[in-house]
Amino acid sequence: MSAVFPSAGWLNLLEEKLNADSHYNNIAKNWEGDLVFDIQPAGTLTQPLLMYLDLWHGKCRGVEYAPEPAKHPKPTFILRSPYDNFTAILLGKLDPMTAMMTSKLKVEGSLAYMMRNVPTVLDFVRCCREITTDIL
Amino acid sequence: MQPILRIDLSTGTSEEYKIPEEWERAFLGGASLAARLLYPYLTKELDPFLSEAPLLFLNGPLTGTSGPTVGRFVVCGKGPATGLWAESNCGGFWGPELRFAGYDGLWLTGKAAEPIYLWIEDRRLEVRKAAHLWGKDTYETQEAIKQEINQKGIHVACVGPAAENGILFAGIYCDHGRTAGRTGLGAVMASKNLKAIAVHGNAKLPFVHPDRYATLRSESNRALKQDNEAHIMHEMGTASVANYAEYLGSMPAKYYHQGGFDGVDKVSGATMSDTILTGQSACHACVIACGRVVRLDDGNKRKGPEYETIVSFGSNLLIDDLAEITRLGELCDRYGMDTISTGNTIGLAFYLFEKGIITAQDTSELELKWGNAAVVHELVRMTAFREGIGDLIAQGSKRLGKYFGAEDEAVQVNGLEVAYHDPRGVSGMALSYATSPRGACHNQSDYFFVDFGHIHPEIGIEYFSRQAEAEKAANVARHQDWRTVYNSMVMCIFANVAPQMQVDLINAACGYDWTAEEMMKVGERGWNMKRAVNNKLGLTASNDKLPKALLEPLSTGGTEGFVPDIQAMLHAYYEARGWDEKTGYPTKEKLFALGLEDIAKDLWG
Repeated sequence: MSAVFPSAGWLNLLEEKLNADSHYNNIAKNWEGDLVFDIQPAGTLTQPLLMYLDLWHGKCRGVEYAPEPAKHPKPTFILRSPYDNFTAILLGKLDPMTAMMTSKLKVEGSLAYMMRNVPTVLDFVRCCREITTDIL
Repeated sequence: MQPILRIDLSTGTSEEYKIPEEWERAFLGGASLAARLLYPYLTKELDPFLSEAPLLFLNGPLTGTSGPTVGRFVVCGKGPATGLWAESNCGGFWGPELRFAGYDGLWLTGKAAEPIYLWIEDRRLEVRKAAHLWGKDTYETQEAIKQEINQKGIHVACVGPAAENGILFAGIYCDHGRTAGRTGLGAVMASKNLKAIAVHGNAKLPFVHPDRYATLRSESNRALKQDNEAHIMHEMGTASVANYAEYLGSMPAKYYHQGGFDGVDKVSGATMSDTILTGQSACHACVIACGRVVRLDDGNKRKGPEYETIVSFGSNLLIDDLAEITRLGELCDRYGMDTISTGNTIGLAFYLFEKGIITAQDTSELELKWGNAAVVHELVRMTAFREGIGDLIAQGSKRLGKYFGAEDEAVQVNGLEVAYHDPRGVSGMALSYATSPRGACHNQSDYFFVDFGHIHPEIGIEYFSRQAEAEKAANVARHQDWRTVYNSMVMCIFANVAPQMQVDLINAACGYDWTAEEMMKVGERGWNMKRAVNNKLGLTASNDKLPKALLEPLSTGGTEGFVPDIQAMLHAYYEARGWDEKTGYPTKEKLFALGLEDIAKDLWG
């Protein structure tokens, strides 16, 4: 199971991974909240790109690749960063906590909820990394 | 910088002292400059409670300038618990107000014949009687003096009953709960019969390039407002890290003997935000506002606890009640005692009670059972007034342990209680604690943030695994140098300001032309200066160590059984520092390279 980021195939594979991964299912069992990746143009990405994930109690209830911004105006979380930083995290070159603490990755949403659920966030990143073979 | 006012409290006389310009440039200000200034006066034989012992309040060159989190001052002297270099910095508004009053420092010696307080306004000093204030807590004292002077804009730094009673971890307090809490300098202040210092002024602050500074100040504060960490601190305070720290095993529980704390969700900064938080409070011109304002059942708003207090009276004692922790923190602030050392020493008492080394006979029949907040309240009170076992707790964990024949069970380094970042979870703290100039301290290098992932490659602070060992020693030294710059500025370590911006601000304020690397050199000089003070006071390589508890593996929790190899780490650290492993002194070559030739001659002959 692997795919190239960013693509609809990658996002679909992530949905499958999150639903099948027992470690994630368990650690995220209390997680309630949808999520948007807001990927800003940088490097080989020339246009902004959104990816939407509906995460609920350790499962992924659905994904949308490149939805219109108006479709999900108020997700629980928005993770915003230039493309290069997203890929660095996915390829294991940038630690997700480092990205957050150095503001390379901007977080919109309840930071209290995020800080309470750091293990879930880190395991989510693990799942993302495990399906990523390459980047565009 | 502006002059320092030297005050002889025995005679009430004072004189202005101009800091030598070359020392300002070499040490910047704050704690490093204080170490340079006090070096000749701090001796091994000096009793910190004798009248000749100096106590130095010092600002930094940016204090009060509304730059990013620079509204702080530092207090320095010889520590009564450690016998070593002591420094403790403090936020609030007092430091800026002292600057507006025309001084960048107060250098106190002597002892007043009776309790007094100092009132300083626009370079005018008045010594006032304070017998009627003696015994009042720190909140009451501030209010009473403000009413007495009856002017707007006054800020008061004071001591409470704990300092008056000679508690070795009594601090200095201002602006309702802003504290210079560590190293016991409040007790030194009280030993001089000095209850408080009130300040007010209207001076224009000195800038070499005011327009440039104003632009940079706005730019850096705007950037800080956008910073993730600043958002987190604003929303959840410093206790925002509690969940993550517990997950990593760096949040101590049951006096450092238990891996993990099930109650973390009940006491975390996130929970505080969702439950009792009613607002934030900020130090002078700070855009972060990490201070908590909470409301408890009595309906009163009060200061909410920060991370160290939450661990000290929470997981450390297995108390998972946020309201109780809040009250215990407030009690310590009112009495004027450091919450870290208070909770740590009470933790040792609980631990020894569990082991049967302390018995109910020793505790006036109090049962020191984990999780019993009512007993902790009573112990805090008994400590402040030195009643029963409180008289032993008042002397800190090293002395408490020694009294019961269990000194090695005390989780302290050189007489200062370890703060609440366990090096078994974040290994860099092993070196931070073992080599800190003031005893086990997390503010000389909050390396746990680096181990969490907060790095600055642009000044050579890189990422290493959180449980890496000797390979990160040079990185820790680098981080210490950087934080020494912070403690010279005097700047809050919660400000995530880019190092280049930091040096630009210094250059604009002081008229220097430093590079970031030159700024780091100033930090290294300050670190070595403090080390030299300590070497003069008798500190050697044998002092650089960790307490037994931190070198024992925990079978559960996020540390995963890891124990740092402190000897290997120290070996690599000494090499990185250019220190002599045999003596623990900075080598002559290192001191010469840092421009500290006179210190080299004094230490090495």
